[in-house]
Amino acid sequence: MKNLKTLFLFTTLSMTALSDALADTRVGFVYVGPRTDFGYNYAQDQGRQYLDEHMDNVSTLYFENVPENAEVQRVMERMIRNGVDIIFPTSYGYLDPALDLARRYPDTTFVHSGGLKTADNLSTYFADIDQAMYLTGMTAGLMTETDRLGFIAAHPIPQVLRNINAFARGAQSVNPDVTTSVIWTAQWSNPTAESEAANTLIDNGADVLAGHVDSPINYTQTAEQRGVYAVGYHADASKFAPQGWLVGAEWNWGPMMVDIVTSIQDGTWEPTHLRGNLTTGATQLTEFGDNAPEEVRERVLQARDEIMAGDLHIWHGPVVDQTGNELYSDEMPMEAVESMDFLVQGVQGRLP
Amino acid sequence: MEMLWTELGIMFVIALRSASPLLAVVIGETLTQRAGVINLGVEGQMLLGALTGVAVTFHTASPVMGLLAGCMAGLSLSLLHAWLVLGFKANQIASGIAVLMLGSGISAFYGIPYVGQRIERFESLKTSWLADIPLLGPVVSPFSPTVLITVLLIPVAGVLLYRTRWGLRWRAAGESPEISRNLGENPRRYQLIAICLGGLLSGFGGAALSVDYTANWVEGMTNGQGLLAVGLVIVARWNPWLTLPAALLFGAAQAMNLRLQSWGVDISSYLLATLPYVLPLAVMALSYRSLRHTGGGMPEGLKAVFARSA
Amino acid sequence: MPSAIHSRASRLTARLRTLLPLALIVVLFVLACLAFFMINDRAPLSLFMQMVAGGFGDFYSLSESLVQAGPIMLTAMAVALPARLGLISVGGEGQMYAGAVLGTGVVLLGFDWPGFLLMPLMLLGGMLGGALYGLMPALLKTRLGINETIATLLLNYIALLLVSFLVHGPWRNPASLGWPATIEFPSGAVLPTLWASRMHVGLILAVCIAFAMHWLVTHSRWGLALHVLRSNPRAGATAGLSHTTNVVLVLCLGGLLAGLAGIAEASVIHGRLQAGIAGTYGLTGFLVAWLAGQHFLRIIPISVLMGGLLASADTLQLFAQLPAASAVILQATLFAIVLAVNAHWSKHQRRST
Repeated sequence: MKNLKTLFLFTTLSMTALSDALADTRVGFVYVGPRTDFGYNYAQDQGRQYLDEHMDNVSTLYFENVPENAEVQRVMERMIRNGVDIIFPTSYGYLDPALDLARRYPDTTFVHSGGLKTADNLSTYFADIDQAMYLTGMTAGLMTETDRLGFIAAHPIPQVLRNINAFARGAQSVNPDVTTSVIWTAQWSNPTAESEAANTLIDNGADVLAGHVDSPINYTQTAEQRGVYAVGYHADASKFAPQGWLVGAEWNWGPMMVDIVTSIQDGTWEPTHLRGNLTTGATQLTEFGDNAPEEVRERVLQARDEIMAGDLHIWHGPVVDQTGNELYSDEMPMEAVESMDFLVQGVQGRLP
Repeated sequence: MEMLWTELGIMFVIALRSASPLLAVVIGETLTQRAGVINLGVEGQMLLGALTGVAVTFHTASPVMGLLAGCMAGLSLSLLHAWLVLGFKANQIASGIAVLMLGSGISAFYGIPYVGQRIERFESLKTSWLADIPLLGPVVSPFSPTVLITVLLIPVAGVLLYRTRWGLRWRAAGESPEISRNLGENPRRYQLIAICLGGLLSGFGGAALSVDYTANWVEGMTNGQGLLAVGLVIVARWNPWLTLPAALLFGAAQAMNLRLQSWGVDISSYLLATLPYVLPLAVMALSYRSLRHTGGGMPEGLKAVFARSA
Repeated sequence: MPSAIHSRASRLTARLRTLLPLALIVVLFVLACLAFFMINDRAPLSLFMQMVAGGFGDFYSLSESLVQAGPIMLTAMAVALPARLGLISVGGEGQMYAGAVLGTGVVLLGFDWPGFLLMPLMLLGGMLGGALYGLMPALLKTRLGINETIATLLLNYIALLLVSFLVHGPWRNPASLGWPATIEFPSGAVLPTLWASRMHVGLILAVCIAFAMHWLVTHSRWGLALHVLRSNPRAGATAGLSHTTNVVLVLCLGGLLAGLAGIAEASVIHGRLQAGIAGTYGLTGFLVAWLAGQHFLRIIPISVLMGGLLASADTLQLFAQLPAASAVILQATLFAIVLAVNAHWSKHQRRST
């Protein structure tokens, strides 16, 4: 029995080694949730599929539902021990285990999503989706009749705060009186809580909803049911709200991932913080919904072109917090943006 | 004073709307436990019912078919629990967890193609004949069909359990197999029906959540409500009539958490989120005195399950 | 002479008899896995071998299985001990978090203390935290008559939210750039690991504790008292045994064990406190306790097997790109098989004797 087991193990490993020898770069992805969540992980997986389609000498594999705890280290280590050359840990909480493994396996390259630390063989990548959120905020600000907007958020990590603040500032740029109320669901995915949070915001007068939870579907649908508008995030959920959908902010990881993997193969890769934005196409605005009027579309698209051309900086000063303190009078530096820990003026609600 | 009633009314509507899937499962599990069987697998049954509901609605464009299919799915899974517990006399707690995991795994596995798919919804009752009924119409029409069905299940379950001879035998099966046999009954027959009924209702609860309330499927979308339902059976003291306040309590507390946030209350939302879990404890603590001499109402047969080991 | 041969033969058949259900379980499980793989168009036999190897095939896999076995053992014991008194506690997860919180509090307080002081105090803090979180359902039951199952279930959720509150708020590490976790533990507060793996002394502790607990409940007076109180409460009361005191004792002691698991996980596996350190150990420990029939020695091998099962689940995603849910389905199938075979076998045994 033991010999049989050894034989099978040997066969498998030698087959893996053989495929390695055929010079296919093996790229492994780790997702914190299911890749079919129609949200963050879905977008990362779309990127992986793009990579698969556009690069011949690359084979990809993925692990999903790996929580941000002890498990991820084992999962990544298994991939390394099975000949994976490049690992994409796609959730922020994977950073420290990834750094640990980067130290122990210098021949493997790690490309972490959203991290702010690097190592000799670990770089990070992310996209300034807050630029797109700013534009959705503008849309919301132009469409609202009650001057009240709602935002459903999961956890107060910097990436979420950036989006809330960008959305609020975008709205304020076209409509200075507008307020954005935030409700925290304390979970990345909880359909019931998201729907009820949406209802609460609408009951309090919000007529455009936005959110940063795993999937935009639930609050978008609730908005549609209640006859108000919604802007989306992560993915295009317009089919769930044909009347209410205005526009959304989405990821476009594919081309960026191809660039990164190509640079690793070329030897030109550097352990830097790579950031995409509207200009590079790593993030983009979705199609407008049917009910978005022409003037609104024109105005928002014009702003988009300005951002892409570098004429409009969404974090331009002054940046004022909820208590009225002017935190930055000139443009907010990117390091501060990426570690944001406050809410801007015009946002109602507190950090949990 | 009128403001207070309006506020309470609003809270009632919100709580009932969001907690009605949970309520369906609580009713089902109450009936199951009353026959002397505990089924922790209702969470898995709920998930399987939720997925099946969405899948069938997607393919047939009929939410009614989806609901029915969800019921059947929950029932089918519960048969495994029945087989293990009644057939093999396996430990009920462990069997329940196996069922829970199976339902969770199967629904996640086969649910993959249905994530992000849009399905047909029920038509709003406000435009139906229901809204035209005098007095009752405006009260019930804001709710969706599954909520009304769930609420109607309560008097059905209550009357059945407490006012019929059949209900008496059902309860006898849960209190003492000996008494049951003395009555000329086979308690296992009632337990089988109890498990199946619990399966049907938990499948219904899941389908109500996915087809009616959220109209989409996400992996693990019940978020532990099934397990919570088993606990709420205890809060409701195994009495179908008390399942509504128990579920409403939970639903209202969840809604309160969100409302308090929107009112700008200066407490961390994580601490506010403990409200739905603290309130049932508080309620049970307050009702202690009236329970002290009745042992809380747990069926005797159920106590035997807990006293036995694997 | 004939009687000696006869008894030796009957001893052999008796031993074979006990192995038979185990063999049946293995056969049925292998068949189920093969069927599952075939339904999903994967090479059944080789994938199954990879699965087994993924749990126990080499030192790395074995060590990873054992890394999980440790906390599973402790949370299983946290369930098994109250079960000795007929109590059903699902509170392993909450008690793990409570222990992690209090232990982390000690570390934050004594960040600069020397290791020989900080480490034991941290562990004591973890145990105290878990014990307190076991005390709560105990008091709720004895003073207010609240069923311990619902109490521990609700307290689990509360503990998780409490940890989230702390790591997002007052205890958040400013250097973590917004990501919710405490500062990293100083080296004096990190339990030593073994043999260049992630296994740590917590595992050894867990095994020793299992032996100790076994002795305690089977050979000590206290163990006897528990047995009497559960099987015949009236006799127990007549004998002067206090049900109330023992409810508190078993829940606190169980909580203490889970709290130890919690602080150990935080300390060595993560190096800090963050949400999610308890993973699924609460439910898994609960299942292990019930599969082991609340028997402390049996908890050890079953925990190891469970750890292997969880660790081997990786191979399904790694080699076959099956969705993560596949592992759950296979695990659930295994449990169902174990339950059916065990229950059927003991029924069979009872009938034949």
